[in-house]
Amino acid sequence: MNAAIAIDKASKRFALAGSSEGVLALSDLSLQIAPGEFVAILGPSGCGKSTLLRLVASLEQPTGGTVSVNGAAPGLVSAQHALGVAFQDHALLPWLSVHDNIALPFRIAGRAVDEAAIVRLIELVGLRGFETARPKQLSGGMRQRVSIARALVLEPEVLLLDEPFGALDAVTRRQMNVELQRIWSARQITTMLITHSVDEALFLADRVVVMSGRPGRIVREVAVPFARPRSTAVMRSEEFHRMVDDLTGALDS
Amino acid sequence: MRQTLLGALGIALFLVLWEVIGRLQLASISWPPLSDVLVMLADPDRRPLFQRAIGATLESTALGYLWGTTAGLLLAALAHLLPVMRRGSDRLAAVLNSVPSIALGPIFLVVLTRESTPAAVSSIHVFFIVFVSVSSGLQRATPAHRDLFSVLGADRLRRFARLELPAALPALASGLRLAWPAALIGAIIGEWFGAPRGIGILIINAMQNFQIVLLWCAVLLAVGSSLLFYGLLTLLERTAYARFS
Amino acid sequence: MDAASDMSARRPLLVRLIEDYWGILLLLIAWQLWVVANSFNPIVMPTPVAVLGDLVSYPGVYLRNVSITLAVAVFGLVAGMAVGTGLAIVAWFSPIASGLLNPLTVLFSSVPVVALIPVIARLLGYDTSTVLAIVVIITFFPSFVFASSGLRSPPPGSEDLFRVLGASRLSLLQRLALPSAMPNLAIAFKLAAAHAILAAMVAEFLMGTSGLGYLFAKTKADFQTEQAFGASAVATVISAAAFLAAGWVERRVRERYS
Repeated sequence: MNAAIAIDKASKRFALAGSSEGVLALSDLSLQIAPGEFVAILGPSGCGKSTLLRLVASLEQPTGGTVSVNGAAPGLVSAQHALGVAFQDHALLPWLSVHDNIALPFRIAGRAVDEAAIVRLIELVGLRGFETARPKQLSGGMRQRVSIARALVLEPEVLLLDEPFGALDAVTRRQMNVELQRIWSARQITTMLITHSVDEALFLADRVVVMSGRPGRIVREVAVPFARPRSTAVMRSEEFHRMVDDLTGALDS
Repeated sequence: MRQTLLGALGIALFLVLWEVIGRLQLASISWPPLSDVLVMLADPDRRPLFQRAIGATLESTALGYLWGTTAGLLLAALAHLLPVMRRGSDRLAAVLNSVPSIALGPIFLVVLTRESTPAAVSSIHVFFIVFVSVSSGLQRATPAHRDLFSVLGADRLRRFARLELPAALPALASGLRLAWPAALIGAIIGEWFGAPRGIGILIINAMQNFQIVLLWCAVLLAVGSSLLFYGLLTLLERTAYARFS
Repeated sequence: MDAASDMSARRPLLVRLIEDYWGILLLLIAWQLWVVANSFNPIVMPTPVAVLGDLVSYPGVYLRNVSITLAVAVFGLVAGMAVGTGLAIVAWFSPIASGLLNPLTVLFSSVPVVALIPVIARLLGYDTSTVLAIVVIITFFPSFVFASSGLRSPPPGSEDLFRVLGASRLSLLQRLALPSAMPNLAIAFKLAAAHAILAAMVAEFLMGTSGLGYLFAKTKADFQTEQAFGASAVATVISAAAFLAAGWVERRVRERYS
């Protein structure tokens, strides 16, 4: 099987003022994500999970080991505009409307704006009627919907989500999880989700990878058995609760 | 490190360019080489002249700086404590700032003496900058802090003294830094209206008598003293930011 | 904000006038009383009423000189901001250029520019080109400083986003850095707009060619003090209006781009 994302013995060391060896954020970490697979990386803050995503996004270079996306270096993939990304900071441009924010990746890639695709995505993320609104007129949850629509608009080969709902309140966050589950079921793109919420990871992913910090490494991998499409009923099942307890234990150890 | 080196290189390039343009007379005879200017500045025979001029100008600048800062602080505090005065204060400050400095000279000449006109013009420049920066600084205290003081039962004056004024100190320090070159400009312009001595007088006399190198010396003295105090005030500003924000 | 302006619209005219203009009214009244009380000769110090009278009596003289000063100020402002923004973009593209330029501009922005007028006049000649050069220099520094910092402060996370999307340097400039710099450029515009007219006037005063500064110098030398004050009053009003108008532009731009 050819992995969509292949991380092979990756290490990342950051230089630190006053320390000769710096900080080891990731150590010898290996992880493969299959095409069309949704993997959630779960870990406490500071465990290096965001660094892992930044390696795949080519925002950082590994100091050891290799990272590849569809067999190529991440930098090449991003130069071909084939990565989709959403951050905890929605990173919407305040001077652009909802429509223009979603159209931005087309313009950056120098491609013609596919209006039909934007209309479909705005529909999919439930923002019809808000096309001309500006980010500051939207609620936190709506901004993240725009941010996810923007991540999907170029039909990327790989979708990278760095705690996209981390700044939302618990109720909105749950709603957004349901939405993302529905959106992802419509077009199954290889996805790497960084989160510190066990519920979120179990509800959304095909596989959950638990990391521990200093240096960051994988301590546990769990396949998620629930059939898709999933509804919130899944979260009330006994199996779900058992796995939540199990993973919470793995996080604490 | 790299940035510092590049910066030093940039300044060095500028100085070398100045020298070369002057030596080869690329611009005109009015552009003397830097070295000629420095030689004249270092000339012991001229030292008393330069010392008298820069001394007088710095004295006016410092006085104007003091008056302007006091006036700016007082009006900003007044407008803050009595909100009904706010709009009128803003407009008064904006209009005072819009009066051409060259018109201030003759007015102060009638009200004050020849000697204190430079300081007065300078104080108007300083006043506006301090007023604007302190006014915005006084609004920097966060609503949470204001609520805390209300809950603790602090009255309006105590809140001002213990919360809002300390919160405004960094903005005041920024204002004080920006106000120095403005104060110097005010003093120089003020001197044109009959002051007995000063850098402004030196500049005008050198210009009218075609003493090119002397003109550049005077300009360099003004620039040097501006830079010196600007640097010192930048340090003060950093301290204020480190301590109060 | 809206509620506040609603309230101000409902205040009676007299209250509004006093609340908004008490300082300026106080100043004008004090001036009038002071001149009358001391019975100054109008050559020494005219009353504000007399200055107003002169303004109304000779509109042609004022209009001619105002248009000259205004033209130089506007042209210099546009040129200075264009050069400042252009160099800031060059410094944004090239770390070497930015390293070379930044300390120099910090150095120059603390220079009392007025002291440079005679030097520039010696270099460029005693005419309008020197006045223009002064306005360009005065407006260049705030534009460069504010544009530079604006280009370097995009919304959080957006730079990462552009990199992941594989944006070119040019598209980063056009779609991210320049729009992020707009509010800062507007602040520079506000600072420069009022100063442009005053700087032009000081330069004209020294150069003695044409414009409001020249009118001031000439009438003052001829003991037409009322007209000299009239020229100053006109400059004050234009400069204050420029400051207010630029403030309005700045608020609109900030609203639009952040």
